Amino acid sequence: MQIFNRHTFAALALTLAVLMPACKENTYVYGLEDITVQPVDLSGKKAKTPEQYIAILYANLYQKAMSPNQLVRATETITSIGDKQVAYETVISKFMNDPNIILPSIESMRQDPEAFITETYKRFFVRVPTEAEKTYMINYINSHPEVTAEHVYYAFAISNEYYFY
Amino acid sequence: MRNMKRRDFIKKASLATGAALTMPYLLPTGRLFAQSGRQMAEHVVLVMFAGGVRQQEAVLQRYLADSQELPIEGNIMYNMLTGAPPDLKIVYGPTSPGGQPGGQPISSILQTPLDQQGTLFPEVRFSKAGTGHFVGLSTGVTGYYGVTQGLRQRPLHPTVFEYVRRFGNAKASDVWFIGNGIGNSTPLLNHSEYPGFGSRYGANFFAPNITFGGRGLDFLKGFKVYHPDEELIPIREMQGFLNNGFNLAGREIPHLFNTEEEKFDIKEFIRTTFERLENNQVAFPPVTDNGDLSTLGYTTEILRWFKPKLTVINMSAVDSCHGSYTSYLKALHRADHGVAHIWNYIQNNIPEMANNTIMMVMPEHGRNLNPNPITDENDWFAFDHDSDANSRRIFTMMVGPNVPSNLKVGSESNPVGDAADTAMTIADILGIKQEVQDAGLMDFGAMSLFDRI
Repeated sequence: MQIFNRHTFAALALTLAVLMPACKENTYVYGLEDITVQPVDLSGKKAKTPEQYIAILYANLYQKAMSPNQLVRATETITSIGDKQVAYETVISKFMNDPNIILPSIESMRQDPEAFITETYKRFFVRVPTEAEKTYMINYINSHPEVTAEHVYYAFAISNEYYFY
Repeated sequence: MRNMKRRDFIKKASLATGAALTMPYLLPTGRLFAQSGRQMAEHVVLVMFAGGVRQQEAVLQRYLADSQELPIEGNIMYNMLTGAPPDLKIVYGPTSPGGQPGGQPISSILQTPLDQQGTLFPEVRFSKAGTGHFVGLSTGVTGYYGVTQGLRQRPLHPTVFEYVRRFGNAKASDVWFIGNGIGNSTPLLNHSEYPGFGSRYGANFFAPNITFGGRGLDFLKGFKVYHPDEELIPIREMQGFLNNGFNLAGREIPHLFNTEEEKFDIKEFIRTTFERLENNQVAFPPVTDNGDLSTLGYTTEILRWFKPKLTVINMSAVDSCHGSYTSYLKALHRADHGVAHIWNYIQNNIPEMANNTIMMVMPEHGRNLNPNPITDENDWFAFDHDSDANSRRIFTMMVGPNVPSNLKVGSESNPVGDAADTAMTIADILGIKQEVQDAGLMDFGAMSLFDRI
């Protein structure tokens, strides 16, 4: 019994000697690096030429390509106005007055705003929205009953992200 | 109604969009105090009598005598210059039914020619750089000879528009550049990309023959006017949210830093101009049968609506002289008609600008002494502009308050003035000459023409 106890004690002591360092609690220090948070990756983005802008816009709004002749004329119209924000906004609102433009109905937008927003981001920005973007836009649509799909499309078309690719 | 809507829209738009749409340019480059010099007038209109004008057919009134070896002299610019018109081989007017082509000169608009109302510098020099249209125009608007200036490139040095906005505290819609078209890089002349200047201080631009012509009819006329409260506010709010990341990175659709109110006003101007066109209310010159004259007609609309501090108008029809001397004479006669119309309109239809506007007229460069081999329907030779001595000869005219009347400064044997003087003269008129001189970015020889009198 005494021998057993001695052996048992020795084994226990050896085990503790081996395991004790493994049980030592390490201290970890966590930190944060400063980074600029942007909703989209802007690196490598290039501005569209007026031709590119108009051609893509037309395809987005009419779901078909603009004829080359019309594209030249539309581009010249844009060039004839110095402030391009004014020029684009005016041309887009002219398109919006065209009954041939293809817009989602208000009902479909309000029935499923999440699908509408996701589809709109894909159509205009060629990406899916972040959760924050989706939440903001859905909340905005839900809290503004006067907003139509046309208003949303117009806001996307005149946004700066749409101008870059 | 227009003003009420605009104010309401601005107030609400500002609150709604907040920082997202705040114009990010409270920069130290802009001045927040009045210009140091005395203003001679509150408005300046510069007509770039451009396309390349030979002195011989302009101030020298030689008609066919110094070009076609025909001893017929006379003045075909009788609104601007004192002198009797030619009495033979009249080809420069409109054509009356059954009449001789060009045989009916346009009646004079002004009772007193502009050279008697103001000051004429009959022998000015385009002293440096090649006599090309774009470099000539850019020299006119910058006061700097861009010897290395290329097409498809904005002016190398700041334009007078940028000086007026930066040093004269002018709004974007206070300065306008009206182009006769969009070719030859004309739309690039409304601002430079010079550090500290650039689009932040650029001029608004229209090429009205396009903006309000067939293309504008297709893509602008009838554009939707969104309700300022119920539609534009939410649109701007959503746009502001979408723009956040891009605005942080300084990436925007190019613009001229018009305020929201100014942008709204410009759109209203576009909409109204189409309406006025439809109702034949646009004040085109009595004879409007070329692009220069329609450009000048639309310019009266811009002057009436915005009453700009500075307006620069570009003409170019006389450049047909490369291939047709007859066409050149017609264009020159019409350019004179158009200048008179602008001056007449300002004095009689825009009370805020009447007697408070100085108009300057200057070709961007001249044309060659000797013709090229091309002949026209009258067997008359055409002329190019190849930087020979004759193509460096131009004139400059000023008229308006504080401009001496009936004064001629310089002569063929004693040239006075330089193409680079025009921008400095505009700065002088608007009271910012000292600031422009201190900037040191104009040609070292550029002077105000008032200092040359």
